[in-house]
Amino acid sequence: MTSDQRKLLWEWFTNPPPGSKTAEARDWGIDLSLLYENLLLSPTERARKLEQGANSLLILRMAGDRHAAKQ
Amino acid sequence: MKLEETLQALYDHAVEFVIIGGAAMQLQGSARLTDDLDFCYARNRRNLERLAAALAPFHPRLRNAPEGLPFRFDAPTIERGMNFTLATDLGPLDFLGEVSGLGSYEAVLAASETMNILAMPSRVLSLPGLIKAKLAAGRAKDLEAVRELESLREGREKSGL
Repeated sequence: MTSDQRKLLWEWFTNPPPGSKTAEARDWGIDLSLLYENLLLSPTERARKLEQGANSLLILRMAGDRHAAKQ
Repeated sequence: MKLEETLQALYDHAVEFVIIGGAAMQLQGSARLTDDLDFCYARNRRNLERLAAALAPFHPRLRNAPEGLPFRFDAPTIERGMNFTLATDLGPLDFLGEVSGLGSYEAVLAASETMNILAMPSRVLSLPGLIKAKLAAGRAKDLEAVRELESLREGREKSGL
């Protein structure tokens, strides 16, 4: 990614033009800063993040199951 | 989830596949978490054999099936079925023979792009492909995901990524 692309991306996600799908998404409640951050990552970095997120979800789910079993 | 090991196993056996679903969304920049890996696989006989061989060391079994239910993930079984939700030593893996809104593997492949993931060139469903699939699925959570995917598509287009 070039510095120009990064700048364009930043401008797009911090101030999406009215009527764009991105503006609609922001108004819907989607956190555009997360999308911007993810697009700065390489596919391999996104893959690592995917793996970490999935494993965190698994830990949370197991904790939830243990909690439910105690009830 | 063991993404690297999963891709390596598929790659080592030259399995024809496309990463789809939540994992493809995240690889395209989505902020949504997912805990399984979804793939669309080619249905030709050679690929079914390769897929079965790739997963064999990881003890594939049907997810949420009753304990002790006989199941063998081999080429004839895959040929008789279409979509498989598996529990494996690599974590939950879903293999779909076709994707709603897109169709067979060939159509999904045509709607994918190559990404270099962990030093392995892998086919990943594109943003337009994901949008079509989510619109076809049509559940509330899918339609919400479309908003995010559309934003990513616009952002990439406007920045020339």
